[in-house]
Amino acid sequence: MNHEIISRYIRQPAQLPGELRARIEQSWGEEPILLYALVDLDEGLTLGESWIALGDRQIALARPGALEAWTIQSIHRNRIRAVQLTPGLSANTLLLLGEPDENPLATVRYTQRQRGAVENIRFVLDESLAGRAVTPTAEDADRVYADAVARPVRDAQALVAGRESAVILRLLGYLSPYRREVTIGLLAAAVVTLTSLVPPYLAGFLLDRVVRPAQAGVLGRAEATRLAWLAVAAMGALYVVRQAAAHMRLRLMSVLGEWVARDLRSELYAHIQRLSLSFFSRKKTGSLITRVTADTDRLWEFIAFGVVDVSLSIVMLLGLGIVLLTLDWRLGLVMTLPVPLFCWMIYWHGESLNARFIRAWRKWSRLTDVLGDTIPGIRVVKAFNQETREIGRFVDRNDAVTAEFNQIHRMWTTFWPLLMFAVHTTTVLVWVFAVPRLLGMGNPLSAGVFVSFLLYTTMFVAPIEVIGQMVRTINRATSSAHRVFEVLDSEPEVRDIPNPVRLSPVRGRVEFDNVTFAYDGVRQILKGVSFEVQPGELIGLVGASGGGKSTVVSLVARFYDATGGAVRIDGIDARTLDTGHYREQLGMVLQDPYLFHGTVLDNIRYGLPSASLGAVVAAAKAANAHDFICRLGQGYDTVVGERGHTLSGGERQRISIARAILHDPRILILDEATSSVDTETERQIQEALERLIKGRTVFAIAHRLSTLRRASRLFVIEKGRLAEAGTHRELLAKPNGIYRKLYELQLQLQ
Amino acid sequence: MTALEVEGTEQAESLRLRTAPDGRLIAYTARGPLPVRVRQCFPWSEPYRHLSIRDAEDKEVALVEDPKSLGGESRAALERALAEAGFVLEVTRVVSIDEEVEIRQWDVETRHGPRSFQTHLDDWPRSLPGGGLLIRDVGGDLYRLMVGELDKASKELLWAFVD
Repeated sequence: MNHEIISRYIRQPAQLPGELRARIEQSWGEEPILLYALVDLDEGLTLGESWIALGDRQIALARPGALEAWTIQSIHRNRIRAVQLTPGLSANTLLLLGEPDENPLATVRYTQRQRGAVENIRFVLDESLAGRAVTPTAEDADRVYADAVARPVRDAQALVAGRESAVILRLLGYLSPYRREVTIGLLAAAVVTLTSLVPPYLAGFLLDRVVRPAQAGVLGRAEATRLAWLAVAAMGALYVVRQAAAHMRLRLMSVLGEWVARDLRSELYAHIQRLSLSFFSRKKTGSLITRVTADTDRLWEFIAFGVVDVSLSIVMLLGLGIVLLTLDWRLGLVMTLPVPLFCWMIYWHGESLNARFIRAWRKWSRLTDVLGDTIPGIRVVKAFNQETREIGRFVDRNDAVTAEFNQIHRMWTTFWPLLMFAVHTTTVLVWVFAVPRLLGMGNPLSAGVFVSFLLYTTMFVAPIEVIGQMVRTINRATSSAHRVFEVLDSEPEVRDIPNPVRLSPVRGRVEFDNVTFAYDGVRQILKGVSFEVQPGELIGLVGASGGGKSTVVSLVARFYDATGGAVRIDGIDARTLDTGHYREQLGMVLQDPYLFHGTVLDNIRYGLPSASLGAVVAAAKAANAHDFICRLGQGYDTVVGERGHTLSGGERQRISIARAILHDPRILILDEATSSVDTETERQIQEALERLIKGRTVFAIAHRLSTLRRASRLFVIEKGRLAEAGTHRELLAKPNGIYRKLYELQLQLQ
Repeated sequence: MTALEVEGTEQAESLRLRTAPDGRLIAYTARGPLPVRVRQCFPWSEPYRHLSIRDAEDKEVALVEDPKSLGGESRAALERALAEAGFVLEVTRVVSIDEEVEIRQWDVETRHGPRSFQTHLDDWPRSLPGGGLLIRDVGGDLYRLMVGELDKASKELLWAFVD
């Protein structure tokens, strides 16, 4: 997929040219290339193609030389003393520096597009200079490069837009469980179409074969009456059949569309639940919600009406063409020849509206930006007395968007009457050609055939409109289908092996054995972390932000798998565990506790829906939450609103602690559980936490070190390593210890 | 010292800048010669004034309000560094703009060579204070378009994105 993105969108080499790779490796004595990146700016900041390649002992710069050859400059890595990056708006400069009095060994300039791939090389060099060897594998070089270059596009559009036909076929595959209904629905639709063609023919028949012969005295009154009533009865019967078929078609296809949308929504939601956390960090929540709701709804519309309407409109136009040409080929040609032109005109109109819609959409988003800014920030607006200015800003943008939409209205309200005029002109042309023939000049034309023609002409408009908008309908459906399939095709990064181990119960021994972890496969967030935690220990994780504390607890929770080394739970490698079963025995209390829309009761027993009310009250009491819950208007049955917004931060936190207590986890993770609350609330939460942690293995992240005094041991995580470990007393005893410095700094601030 | 004054940075008037033979910008400060880089405080509103001179740790060494206050050699060195720090791709022709699922695909010609890039569908070009449009692609690269200077076909393609 990365290769496809690079060649289709980014349009730069998807890998290092083979001949160049061979030359570099040959010049290095067959030492393989471990990482490489394209360098797309030259010294004069012109776009071009140079390469930087990293080996175990050397680094090479390849610039285009004369006669399509490459000029290769190799540098021994042991000459590099420092790596200096100068970021710019769009041009970055990386300097490989040697001895202080020496000119830089190499200078490379590149745009942001190449940043990821160059950063990988820089990371390895930096680590190596710091005495920490990171050795990427040569086999991964192509993958790592392609991944770094394609990542921004892939994050924006995880599924490369494929051929529309393939997407539509895949979408139609969702109809296969409902073959019977689809067949009946399509047959019913075909009946509707075909029966629509009969009444004009019957009208002509009645006129030519019954009315006129009867008026001329050629046909007896009794026979004429019989035939006339027969025709009327046939007409009536046709309409009954047609409406019955229309009812069946509408009902079956709309229900069917709902079934398919339901299947897609369920599959999508179930798949989203299985995806790893990294997926959610890449995708906006709003975008995922839209996929489950609006996109599946648009697909319902396409399946229920689009598929049938488009196919039947084609059948209808073909049928009309055949009937008209059969009835009278000369008049038939007058009517049918302009049809492709009308379809093209509708298509062209849609295309020209497209640019207008983009412009209107842009202006609409500027309008909603004002709302999105000022409504959440209304306190700031008021505090700075900016209401008048904000009203003015909104009015200006509102006027601009209205003007744009009015322009669109002007376009379509001009186009459609003009199109109808063109259609009616063809009708007039039919008259022009038909009237002389009706009067006996040229080829004779019967009045019945003429009337049939006139009736058929009115039937042209609807299918022309549908076919003209077919491209737009299909584009909209494929776009939605892409967005849905993009999620469905994303693979969870944490997957259970066949026959995973179920720990019943988890005892709580956690072991990190030389664990390394990198979100992107190269830049390590954890660098060889090892420790062993016994059941029942309370471990405090401290250190600067970005040091790797949250990554440690994410690995304990198995949100990710270690890139190197192993995380073991009760001696079992976490990668072999049944994740769902393991997490049932794991609890988390987060800095910003998340409550779902529902009652306090629902939220407390979220992890254990079968818990008794008595157990819920006991858990709430242990969490110091019972008292304030009883003060709420409807006690435990009070609805707390989306994200628990009707409660204070401390109250939400205590409910989340009650939820964890009731869940009774064997391993508990506390992530900044007492930050951002006042002292009294903190005391209550602390008290609740002390009850919660009893008898469990606990990992607690806290910036306020005073909250971790009771920890069995403290782990200081710095720059991805376990820098210090010991009790509070032991760590304070270290004269130049990191923990001691942090602690003293916090004391000073207090 | 008032609330708007901050300690710790070099006075611009006493600042001396040179371009080292390797192309790096060197500031001669009280701390001695220091490799530095330049950051524009207002890259679009006032690109050639209020320039922050920063060391390798990205800490400000000096704030040059107006390069004219510097000596000739220092000013020349600063302007050279500025050309690189303020580099964005200058679009000279728009070849095509296509919408795909989730992204908009742009094919353009720039002063620096041809380029294809992608933007999010709801990421609109931004109007710049000094005129022109600024587009940020999904990878973070910036493209500047002086719409008035483009050919007719480019202007037509850009019509939906310009007020």
